[in-house]
Amino acid sequence: MLDLSRVQKELVDCNRDKSSGVSIDLVGDQLSHLAGTISGPIGTPYEGGVFRIDIRLPDGYPFEPPKMQFVTKVWHPNISSQNGAICLDILKDQWSPALTLKTALLSLQALLSAPEPDDPQDAVVAQQYLRDYPTFLGTARYWTEAFARRVSIGTEEKVQKLVEMGFPEALVRTTLENAGGDENMALEKLCSG
Amino acid sequence: MPKRVLCKFFAHGACLKGEHCEFSHDWKDQANNVCTFYQKGVCSYGSRCRYDHVKASRVQAPISSSSASVSYVHQASNPIQVSHPSRIASSGKTTLVSSIPVELSALSRPFFPPDKPSWFQDSGDYAISENDRGVHSISVAPSDQPICAFAAAGKCPYGERCPHIHGDLCSTCGKHCLHPYRPDEREEHIKMCQKNKERLEALRHSQEIECSVCLDRVLSKPTPAERKFGLLSECDHPFCISCIRNWRNNSPTSGMDVNSALRACPICRKVSYYVIPSVIWYSTKEEKQEIVNSYKAKLSSIDCRYFDFGSGTCPFGTSCFYKHAFRDGRLEEVVLRHLGAEDGNTVIAKDIRLSDFLSRLRLTFISTQEIYAIWSAGNMLYSLHYLCLRNFSLGDETRNRGCGIYTIE
Repeated sequence: MLDLSRVQKELVDCNRDKSSGVSIDLVGDQLSHLAGTISGPIGTPYEGGVFRIDIRLPDGYPFEPPKMQFVTKVWHPNISSQNGAICLDILKDQWSPALTLKTALLSLQALLSAPEPDDPQDAVVAQQYLRDYPTFLGTARYWTEAFARRVSIGTEEKVQKLVEMGFPEALVRTTLENAGGDENMALEKLCSG
Repeated sequence: MPKRVLCKFFAHGACLKGEHCEFSHDWKDQANNVCTFYQKGVCSYGSRCRYDHVKASRVQAPISSSSASVSYVHQASNPIQVSHPSRIASSGKTTLVSSIPVELSALSRPFFPPDKPSWFQDSGDYAISENDRGVHSISVAPSDQPICAFAAAGKCPYGERCPHIHGDLCSTCGKHCLHPYRPDEREEHIKMCQKNKERLEALRHSQEIECSVCLDRVLSKPTPAERKFGLLSECDHPFCISCIRNWRNNSPTSGMDVNSALRACPICRKVSYYVIPSVIWYSTKEEKQEIVNSYKAKLSSIDCRYFDFGSGTCPFGTSCFYKHAFRDGRLEEVVLRHLGAEDGNTVIAKDIRLSDFLSRLRLTFISTQEIYAIWSAGNMLYSLHYLCLRNFSLGDETRNRGCGIYTIE
């Protein structure tokens, strides 16, 4: 049986600490299915990105490792660019029940800043990392820009931002609505029209 | 502290106090099975009561909590009433009446060794001198008198007028429970009191400790069976016994290596080969050692179910914590055979069985079929015997090179 009290404690503990750059949310009403988010470490091509991770807790948790997978696409030698599968020893045979979801997510963050191309999950990425590092950096940065952009800013903030640029508020609101909440697209439309 | 009455909880196999219990954990001691309600007058269970219905006077001796006070009852009442009736008659008082002044005056008397019965004193010089001083001959050594139970419990309603001795104050427990004339008992009480205090402090400290696996406080778990720590032999990280056992019993199919992952501490990954259950967490190395030793001592008194009085084999061999004894009580004697391995180190040989030989022998036979195909049964037996000898003397070397070929040259 899944140890519910431990999972609850972990959730409370993790979400209380805002400074760590990781957070865990419930997906449905089941404690066995969670979603984690980690922010890309500074000084890496993943900087500025927010990565979502699907977490499924097996019945044996914490005696069995949680199953984690990247939902956000990411260009990294140890993470599959196709399905987001992660190659990390502590999520497999080096798991220990003293590790928590938070520490596992922090380990993923550390994995983003220190890739292990010699033990790859995605061979294509690993080859690029080893043979053509500048291209790897570019691709990784592009993927972060394209898939892991921070979308957490609320509509009001976006409106305020655009109003500050000198556009009338009513126009900003309608344009933003038409653009589906995309700040950049709305700005383009405002500038062109 | 006297340990005469059998502990009720121990009798049911559920005493949590262990060696710190103030009642006896020795099956030879009698359980106190006397109904206190009946003694006070009314037991509502009547004849259906589980406890013995005995009158107070009859049970005075067996239920008194102190061993010394038992002898007091015998010494004080029997000799006077039976062997010296004349003396009591001449004094004109009954023993009951005289007992109070005697006990009071006993405070001012010199100390007697408690093992000296009072009737010897009666016949000796001392008894005469007592008579000279005008005190009645019923002399009870102060060490034989019990101290006032009320004072020991906290407050005596009689205060100064109390006919019993008031004990000295024990600085540890704050009660007047130190007998002024029994040095041994005093010392024992002080020692016990300090031990109890230390234990209480350790228990308080243990309350705070959390298990790193379930993240709960170990001693706040719902069931008593779960409120135990699991100590690892090689490191000092606290877990509750169920969590650490669950982790170590994790099935090898989960992909984790038994030796490097499961037997390792979840926190520091140091490998420990056994877990010690304990109701208390330790703060020093000595305390841990004490817990480990008492656990091992307890297990070594239990017969190993794998060894099964010699009819089974225990996979743990000489490292087994349980008792390996035969039905007649004889302990198993194991002589370890040290063999020189190929790399020059010494290894301990495991039991070599005939079945192992045969299976190995057959393998060799298959590989060297051409050579041995025509061997007769007699030859085979002879070679087997020879093999045994060679293998015992050469050990691993023989085994590593493949026994068959090596012996026939």
